[in-house]
Amino acid sequence: MAKKLKSVIKELRKFGLTGVCPREWRSSIVLEGEVDSWQEYIAAGYAAAGKGYKGVVNDLRVPGLEPLKEYLPPGRGGALAGKSYDVVIIGGGVIGCAVARELTRWDLRVALLEKEDDVAKQTSSRNNGMIHPGLAAPTGSKKHSYNIRGNRMYTQVSQELGFEFHRCGSVVMLEKSFYRLALPYVRRKALKKGVDGLEILSRQEVSRREPNATDRQRGGIFLPSTGVVAPYMVTVAYAENAVENGAEVHLNTAVLGFEMEGDRIVGVRTNQGVLRARVVINAAGVWADNIAGYANDRFFSIHGRKGTIAIVDKALGSTQSAVLAMPQLGVNTHTKGGGLNPTVEGNLLLGPTAIEVPQREDWSTTAGEMELLLSRHLSLNRRLRPRDIITYFAGVRACTFEEDFIIEPSEYVANLVHAAGIQSPGLASAPAIAEDVAAMTVEILKKTREVKRNPAFNPVRRLTPQLAKLSLAERAEVIRKNPAYGKIVCRCEVISEGEIVAAIHSPVPAATVDAVKRRVRAGMGRCQGGFCTPALLEIVARETSRSPGDVTKGRPGSRMLAEETKAGGKTG
Amino acid sequence: MSPAKWDVVVIGAGPGGLAASIAADKAGASVCLVEREARPGGILKQCIHDGFGLVRFGRKLTGPEYAFLDIEEVKGRGIKLFTETFLLDLDRSEEGFVLTLQNSEEAVFRLEAKALVAATGCRERTARQVFIHGQRPAGVYTAGTVQRLINISGYLPGKNCVILGSGDIGLIMARRLTLEGAKVLGVYEIKPEPSGLTRNIVQCLEDYNIPLHLSTTVTEVHGTERLEGVTVCRVDENMRPLPGSEEYVPCDTLVLSVGLIPENDILHPLGVEIDPRTGGPVVDQLLATSEAGLFSCGNALHVNDLVDYVSESGEIAGASAARHALGDYRPPRHVPILAKGEILYAVPQRLDVSLGGQGILYFRAARTLTDAALVISAGGRVLGEKKYKSLRPPEMERIVLDLSLVPAGEENIVLELRG
Repeated sequence: MAKKLKSVIKELRKFGLTGVCPREWRSSIVLEGEVDSWQEYIAAGYAAAGKGYKGVVNDLRVPGLEPLKEYLPPGRGGALAGKSYDVVIIGGGVIGCAVARELTRWDLRVALLEKEDDVAKQTSSRNNGMIHPGLAAPTGSKKHSYNIRGNRMYTQVSQELGFEFHRCGSVVMLEKSFYRLALPYVRRKALKKGVDGLEILSRQEVSRREPNATDRQRGGIFLPSTGVVAPYMVTVAYAENAVENGAEVHLNTAVLGFEMEGDRIVGVRTNQGVLRARVVINAAGVWADNIAGYANDRFFSIHGRKGTIAIVDKALGSTQSAVLAMPQLGVNTHTKGGGLNPTVEGNLLLGPTAIEVPQREDWSTTAGEMELLLSRHLSLNRRLRPRDIITYFAGVRACTFEEDFIIEPSEYVANLVHAAGIQSPGLASAPAIAEDVAAMTVEILKKTREVKRNPAFNPVRRLTPQLAKLSLAERAEVIRKNPAYGKIVCRCEVISEGEIVAAIHSPVPAATVDAVKRRVRAGMGRCQGGFCTPALLEIVARETSRSPGDVTKGRPGSRMLAEETKAGGKTG
Repeated sequence: MSPAKWDVVVIGAGPGGLAASIAADKAGASVCLVEREARPGGILKQCIHDGFGLVRFGRKLTGPEYAFLDIEEVKGRGIKLFTETFLLDLDRSEEGFVLTLQNSEEAVFRLEAKALVAATGCRERTARQVFIHGQRPAGVYTAGTVQRLINISGYLPGKNCVILGSGDIGLIMARRLTLEGAKVLGVYEIKPEPSGLTRNIVQCLEDYNIPLHLSTTVTEVHGTERLEGVTVCRVDENMRPLPGSEEYVPCDTLVLSVGLIPENDILHPLGVEIDPRTGGPVVDQLLATSEAGLFSCGNALHVNDLVDYVSESGEIAGASAARHALGDYRPPRHVPILAKGEILYAVPQRLDVSLGGQGILYFRAARTLTDAALVISAGGRVLGEKKYKSLRPPEMERIVLDLSLVPAGEENIVLELRG
C-alpha cells in the first residue's frame, strides 16, 4: 500500500473516523462510506488533505443530512441550441467574467453561461471586497502567487474598467504586547513573500493612524498594499467590458452536463439547448466539482464556508481610514477571520465570519453569527454601536480540502480548464487568475488552429455618467444633456433616474431591482429601498416594457407584487 | 449666476414644511419651499384613510385632503415651490446658509437663505435593523412602502400578510390590505402592549377580526425567491425570544411597522446637536437648533403621532425662522429642561427664558401609567402641574407653559412625571 494512503488511514483513525473508506483514483484520494455528522464529513476531508494527493474527493454520506440543494433556473428552451463557440465559460462570478474579458483580447467567439439572473449573484457579491496584501496565504501556494500578482494589477485594471479601488491599507493590531516579539519574523516573512511596504507600528502609531481604533490594541503592523473594491462592481465591470469586446453573456442558463467524445467535451448541455465549444472553462464557484464531474474529472470536492457580513451607516464612514483587524490566535486557521473595512462607497463593513456549511446556496443569516460579528469586529472601532448597522448578509466560499486554488488545464480532458476552489483571496487574485486561464485556453486552441489577436479590443470600459464622481459643473452639464439625471430616485445614495436607466440598458442589462442595485447602488442606503422601491419597480417595468407586476427582485419567481388593486395599477 | 436670495428656505414640503412656509410668509418673510418628490404633501399623499385634522381643523380629513388645504394656501400666497429638487449640499454663508440643489430644469443651482427650516420628515426602520434573519426573498416591505404601492402605484404587494409591529402605519395597513382582498394573518408586537393609537387598534384590527399577538416577534423569514413564511416567537420580559415557542406562519408578505427614525442627515455636516432620545435636533421653544438661524419641525424633530402637531411645530419653526431672517434676533438665554421620572423624552429640550410668553412642550411617557402626575418646577418652585388618568408611550402629550413664571437666574427647569 502506498505510503500516502497509509498516512490518510492513520489520520482518519486518529479522529475515530472508522466508517471512512479511502480509495485512490487517478492521482487523487476518494473518501467513501458513512459518517455520523457534517462535522465528521469535514474532519475526514481535512484528514485526507495534504498527504501528497492531487485532490480530496469527499463522497462520504451523512445520514439524516438534508440533500444538497442547487438552484436551477426555470424554463427550458432552445435559444442556444446548435450555437458554436470557441470558448464557453461556466460561471458569471468575478473569475468567469474576468476570464471572458481577457479572452476577448483574442479573436475568439466567447460565451459566458450563468445560471442566475445576473452576474455576481453568489460569492462574488457576498464577500467583503478586500484586496488582500498577500501575507496570509502560505508561501508557495497558488493563493500566494496569484494574490501578490493580482493585488498589483488592481491599480491598472480599476483604471481601465472604471471601478472604484481604494488602496486604503490595513492595520493588523495586536491584542497582547508580547505578540510584538513575532513582528521581526512577520516582517522577514512579508519581504520573502513579496508583500509590499510592511511597517511595524507602536501602540501610539496605531492610534495616530487610526484615532478610533480600540483601546485594546498593543501596536501592530501596517500593510499599505491592502485595498478595497465593491466586488459586484468589479464583476459587472469585467462582464461589461467583455461584452463590449464581443463576448456573449447568457443569464438564466445552467449547464446540466457535457457530451463527450473520447477525452474531449464536444457539447455543453444547458437548459437552453446543447451548444458546441472548443474549450470549456470551469469557473462554477461552489459547484465547480459537479461541473468537473460532468466531464469525469472530479478530482476535488468543494464544500461551503459561510461568511456573514454587516454594513455600517455611511455617517460613520469617516471614523476610520484603513482596514482594521485584530487576529485571535488559535481561532479558525482557515480564515483570517475578517475585520472592519472601509468600503469604496463610504460605509464600513464588518466581517466576514467563517463557518463550514452543508448547503452551498444557503445565504441565510443567523442571530448567532450576527452576535459573533458584533462582539468580534464592532469594537475594533470605538465609535461604532450596534444601531449603526443598516444591513447584513452572508456568502458561501467555495473551499477545497486542500485550501488552495485549482487553476490548470484538466489532466484528463483535452479541452477543459479549471478555475476552481476560488475563495479568499480569490477576488484579490482574479485579474492574475484570469490572465493565466486565458493563456491556458489559448494554448489549447492553438494546438488545432491559429489564434489571432482581436485588433478591436479596447481594455477601457465605456462609462455612463456617475453623478457622485462629477464636479457640480460636470453634473450640471450631464443634466442639461439628459434631464433624467436631474431627478434623484434613491435619496440615501443620491442616485438619479438617468443612472438607473443607463444600468438597465448597459452591456449586461440590469433587468431586476437587485441588478439595478448592484450596478448603481439604488436601494443600498440607510432606508434599504423603503422610499425608492416603488419608483424602481416602475422604472424597470417601463424600460423593459413589462408591467410592474412582472418585475422581480432577482431570480424568476421573486416577483415583488401580487396583483393590481381594485382601483387598478398605474405606471409612471 | 449669483444665487437667488431668500429670507427663509424650507426643506421638505410635507405637512411640517407646508405649515412652516405659510407661517414664515404670514410673518412677512420671503419664502421658498424645496421638495424632492414630484408633488408636495409628503407622506400624507399616500395616507388615504381619515382621522387627520381633528385638532387643527376640527374635522376628520384624509391625508390628501389635509395636505390640499395647506398646498392651496401655499399656492394662494404665491410661495415659491421647487418640486423634484434635491438638496446636494448645505453650508453656512456670511448671511446665513447656502444650498446647492439639482433638478431637471435648472440642472445645478444655488439658493441663499438667512434662515432655514429643516422639515425633512422621517424614515422607517427596516427588517435588518430589527435583526430579522434568514434569506432575502421578495415580499418583505416596510408598512410605508406597502402603503405607497397600494395607494399610489395601485399594486397589492401580496395576498397573505403578516404584520410585525403594532405602530399606527402597520395597523392602518392591516385594514387597507384586508379591504383590498389580502388576508392579514396577524399583527405581531414584541412589546407587551400595542405601539399604535387605541383608536387604530379598534378600527383597524378589532373591526376586521385581525388577531394581535403581543410579546411575540418575527425572528426569521423563509423562502429564497418569494417569501414563503416567517418564524414567530414569543419573547420574555426583556424582549428576548423564548426558545421552544417558535411557530411557522406561512405567508407571502411581511409588513414591518417597527419604528420611525427622524431624518436629519443633511444637518450632519453642520454639526447640529442631536438629542439621542428623539433622533432630532436639540431645540428651544422657538424650535431653534444649536445652529443659529436653523429651525427644525415635524417628524424630523421627533416622531409625532398626529399630523396636527407636525403642522403646529411647522408654524412655530416658520414664524421663528421669519423673525430671525427679518433681523429680530436677541441672544437667547437657554435653560435646559431636565426630564425626570417616567418621561421617555420631552421637546423642546431647553427654553429661552429671555422671551417670556408661552412655550409648548411635548412629551411621551416611558411606559403605560395610570393616575400619573406631571410637575414642572424651577428651583423648587412649581410652575405647572397636570394629572393624567392614563398615559401611554404611543400617545404624545402637549402642555403649554407660561414662561413668565420661570424665576430669573434658574439653572434648569425640571419636568417630572410620576406614575
